[in-house]
Amino acid sequence: MARVQVSEAEKVYILHGIRDDLRVDGRGCEDYRHMEIETDVVSNTDGSAKVTLGHTAVLVGVKAEIGKPRPTVPTEGYLEFFVDCSANATPEFEGRGGEELGTELSNTLYKVFNNKRSIDLKSLCICAGEHCWVLYVDVLLLQCDGNLYDAISVAIKAALFNTKIPKVHISSDDEGGKEIELSDDPYDCMRLNVENVPCIVTLCKVGHRHVVDATLQEKACSVASLIISVTHKGTITCMRKVGGGSLDPESIFEMTEAGKRVGKALHAPLMKLLEQEESLGKKRQKVYTCFPGLPLVSPQPPREESGAK
Amino acid sequence: MTNSPCPHPDNKPFSGQPEKEKTWGGKRFRAGPVAWVIYFNMPTDTKRVRGPEVSQSPSLFSCDPAAVLPSKGPRADGRRRDQVDVRPVFVRCGLVSQAKGSAYLEAGNTKLMCCVYGPRETDRKDETDMKCGRLTTDMRFAPFSCPERGSWIQGSQDKDFSLMLHESLQPAICLHKYPRSQIEVSVMVLENSGSVLAHAVTCASLALADAGIEMYDLVLGCSMRQDGTSYVVDPSYMEENGCSSVSCENQGGLTVAFLPSLNQISGLQSDGDMTEETLTAGVRTCIEGCYKLYPVIQRALTKAVRKAAPSQSES
Amino acid sequence: ASDVSVLWLPLPRSLLTCRTAEPLEYHRSFLKENCRPDGRELTEFRTTTLNIGSISTADGSALVKLGNTTIICGIKAELANPTVEAPGKGYIVPNVDLPPLCSSRFRPGPPGEEAQAASQFIADVIESSEVIKTEDLSIDRGKLCWVLYCDLMCLDYDGNILDACVIALLAALKNTRLPEVTINKETSAPEVNLEKRWELQIHKHLVSASFCIFDDSILISDPTAEEETLSTAHLTVVTDEDDRLCSVHKPGGTSLSGERLQECISRATTRQREIQKLIAKVAHSVKKAQ
Repeated sequence: MARVQVSEAEKVYILHGIRDDLRVDGRGCEDYRHMEIETDVVSNTDGSAKVTLGHTAVLVGVKAEIGKPRPTVPTEGYLEFFVDCSANATPEFEGRGGEELGTELSNTLYKVFNNKRSIDLKSLCICAGEHCWVLYVDVLLLQCDGNLYDAISVAIKAALFNTKIPKVHISSDDEGGKEIELSDDPYDCMRLNVENVPCIVTLCKVGHRHVVDATLQEKACSVASLIISVTHKGTITCMRKVGGGSLDPESIFEMTEAGKRVGKALHAPLMKLLEQEESLGKKRQKVYTCFPGLPLVSPQPPREESGAK
Repeated sequence: MTNSPCPHPDNKPFSGQPEKEKTWGGKRFRAGPVAWVIYFNMPTDTKRVRGPEVSQSPSLFSCDPAAVLPSKGPRADGRRRDQVDVRPVFVRCGLVSQAKGSAYLEAGNTKLMCCVYGPRETDRKDETDMKCGRLTTDMRFAPFSCPERGSWIQGSQDKDFSLMLHESLQPAICLHKYPRSQIEVSVMVLENSGSVLAHAVTCASLALADAGIEMYDLVLGCSMRQDGTSYVVDPSYMEENGCSSVSCENQGGLTVAFLPSLNQISGLQSDGDMTEETLTAGVRTCIEGCYKLYPVIQRALTKAVRKAAPSQSES
Repeated sequence: ASDVSVLWLPLPRSLLTCRTAEPLEYHRSFLKENCRPDGRELTEFRTTTLNIGSISTADGSALVKLGNTTIICGIKAELANPTVEAPGKGYIVPNVDLPPLCSSRFRPGPPGEEAQAASQFIADVIESSEVIKTEDLSIDRGKLCWVLYCDLMCLDYDGNILDACVIALLAALKNTRLPEVTINKETSAPEVNLEKRWELQIHKHLVSASFCIFDDSILISDPTAEEETLSTAHLTVVTDEDDRLCSVHKPGGTSLSGERLQECISRATTRQREIQKLIAKVAHSVKKAQ
């Protein structure tokens, strides 16, 4: 991950600020930076979204392909995640530098979606044991400015919402062979129910408190973070400690509670926004949003505010 | 071949013409009668003796259906449900002559081995930190360790385990005492009968202690599996991977790495779908499980130290 | 583990400095007296212990300790289509792995030269000697057969891994139980009965014996890792229960007279008897326990 050098004096300044619930950029401890979401940005994918969070920018594309179901679960399709750390995001990703982070991120995404409820995998089944839809979720990091996990998860949710899978028709011929016909009509497609897709909240332990959506400077002051992926119902699909330090059990409990609260609040405005953008159709203007409790400190002031609050 | 999540090799990140268009668009796709599963993404390997291109585990053709795990009553191995009932652990230090420190751990049928090499000069000269040592972890599964044969090539699951192991161990090691050097920890899973990561953490911290690496505390691992309203501690492979008959409410797994005398959690990982309350209770349960393990590990360590001490003073 | 701190032990300084600074001289001083640093005679093998069937996830397994050297072998059987050239035969796929865990000389990554050479040696020995007839692995001629993946993994590398590998492989094959497979007449799909298992038949009990040549003349058996690196030539002889020679492997190094080779072969035949007895004894006790 991109690293920044923070001097001791700066660290003290950041630490003291966070102790008093005031962060360097004016946010409170549980506030997100300005977030922009745009869906359907890449035309040759089946679903795509671009999310920027502060200076962090990620692009997610979903491609649906027909594959063979895993032998252990013949009646379900599956998701594959791939995270590409573009060398444009930070110079450290040049060569093989981004590979480790890419595997770490994609492995976490597998864990986040490793439950029966996030996506209805049964709806991806075409023909039990033989054919199913495989959703390849490709994440491209365009710019790193801290809090990659949260931005990626929001982008994935938006891209899955945007995904249109062509309807298929199965007919069997006389010899017992099966034929699969894909619908040519672009409007005759299946949509995914993304209601249960979780959002990731990363809580960074700084001093005795924890902050949401840490910047790189704040991250440099912390020893450990907790990644929590929360569904709209407030259940947790994945929790993981990252970073080189250890955490007190009590602070883990506090952070879980805060993560659940913040994550749960994220879903409703996000869904509303996605539906709003969808309803605008092809000729839509770009829709921007920011999340609740957020003072406007965006680098470019939003051109159009949506009623996300 | 394996079910481990691995990125599809021909997975090009949405560039150019979508594959689908070429293959299916407009054309009719014909699927023949049941063919042998071609589910094989392994790159060709010239450095090993190769077998047939495709082979399948016999368990896929088993005539008796997979047993559904009961969600009530005692567990398959006789342990109690909803109790901090960990499997008895057998540990031994210093079995590998070539390593600086080593440990072997057996919990039920889970068998793993850990070796520690170093501190020695780091491989990566460019990233040398003048003040701090570097810890490298490598966790691998022997191909015969799981019910389904694994590949020799390290999958992304193994890499994930290595990373978790790294994060769990690092807070316990006084890395600042080993400037410009690296400590290598490698774990080999010989038989996977569940809770591998938790036991790997315990085993690795024991091997580090055996190697004489300065540490703040031992690191102990414990895992649990929630299934509806009941839970099992230190689950077996079947309990970890078997599907239960109950609905998908509140299901999941949790692994905790714990520093017992400092009361700190150094590693935490959960998956599935659980409520916050369940998770919080689960973390407490795992901590309790770690404390149950503590005396056994301490005893093994003192035994190893005693064994090493007289031989040095005699000779 | 050789370590610099060894220098500070209260032992005769001359002897110990010698071992780390001039290991060859150190070994020579022992060999002159017809013994070795670990107390063995020149043609003595290290204590060999065997544990069979300890890995329950494998269809057959064995752990061998030859002194410090430890090799574990796990056999997994899978179903596959036979080749067109040999429709009535199955496959045996042996692989030797030397992970970074077993010694500091190995790095993570694809198998190095030594592991590749060992895998090839084991594969050649199996193929040429027919320890197991691959015909026995056929289920449905031309359609279905067994693949035996024999994975050998070194857990402690202290020389002479080839001998340990051969013992581990033989013992694991002896322990292997394959499930019964029937072909369903209607669907022509295989049906596996995991409860009912049959034993593999071992046609030949192969045992290998390895030797090293020191200073172009002194012959020692079962070398340790240190002895292997200091010696000038290596030799591995594989024999079966009828005292027939299956393989002689001498990759380069200093030359060897016919007499010395004969010496090695006769040592190998006695070794074969010892090991076959050991495997039979352990296999018997495992069976009794079941």
